Amino acid sequence: MRRALAVMLAVFALGGVAAPAFAVTAQEIYRETRCPTCNTPLDVSNSPAAQAIKDFIQVRVAKGQSEDQILAALEGEFGREVLATPPKEGFDLVAWIVPILLVVAGLCAIPFVTRSWARRHHADAPAPEISPEDAARLEDELKNHPG
Amino acid sequence: MTDAPEDVGSDRRRLIGLIVGAVIAALIVGLLVVGLVARGGSTSIDDALVAGQRPPAPDITLPVLVSGPGLPPVGQKASLSSLKGTAVVLNLWASWCGPCRDEAPILQKAWQRYKGRGALVLGLDLQDLSENALAFLKQYDITYPSLRDGTDASKRDLEATGVPETFIIDKQGRIALHITGQVTDIRQISVPLDQVLAEK
Repeated sequence: MRRALAVMLAVFALGGVAAPAFAVTAQEIYRETRCPTCNTPLDVSNSPAAQAIKDFIQVRVAKGQSEDQILAALEGEFGREVLATPPKEGFDLVAWIVPILLVVAGLCAIPFVTRSWARRHHADAPAPEISPEDAARLEDELKNHPG
Repeated sequence: MTDAPEDVGSDRRRLIGLIVGAVIAALIVGLLVVGLVARGGSTSIDDALVAGQRPPAPDITLPVLVSGPGLPPVGQKASLSSLKGTAVVLNLWASWCGPCRDEAPILQKAWQRYKGRGALVLGLDLQDLSENALAFLKQYDITYPSLRDGTDASKRDLEATGVPETFIIDKQGRIALHITGQVTDIRQISVPLDQVLAEK
């Protein structure tokens, strides 16, 4: 009984790992690729052109080609526009650097903005109200003040 | 009465912040406008055809997928301008396009009829995998030559909206007819092509 259970678990584990491993690899490349006719990521596109490219990717994944090899082949067929993310070189680096610069600039701006808000809040705050007792005491002290 | 130096500094910082914000907003709006304009389809070719004119065909230069008369060997680049003097039936197609399969036999028939009579049926395979395109040509016994464009650049230059579309280009390199969608009858090609071929 225990042996049968072990065999079942082994079969389940092999099946459970082998099939999704293939699917995940193809899916990963789908996410890195754009449909050339609809300009959406391949994994969310069902256009005929996208389907043809998905078949192309699946065949190459099954042949054991790497992601880089498959993406290079697709770039050769359709140009750089087929890549979902721009390459990290040349002018395309701008697409990677600008968002990081914007986040850094935003973080740097936080102290200045909060200080400005705090100052404005302080200036706009109404003068604290004075109790009648304190008002009378203040009046007395002003009267008795020698200057 | 003058403002405290602290207030003046604060006002200046606020003004700089506003200017920087406005510049960034203007840049983003500008990029969106440029993107929309670049994507928006132009209709100058169709407008000219409707007005009875023949606009010049864009000078497209693309690699040869299948060679033919007046074209360089496979893999080398050919341009439409080099075909002046020949009437060209330029058909935009792709292997993944259903209507392209249906019209391919009609275009093949036209090629057989007009081959050697001063006309060239020329395919333009768009946004397609080369191996699928070649398999398509073999499957449907297509013998007329084809160029290939993996991008949508030539489609944009021709102001085409998709595949299939067909252009008849006269011997002077001007577009005489634009058929949007599938060719369903050979007379859609033969009637205007006979007229173009009859011209000096």
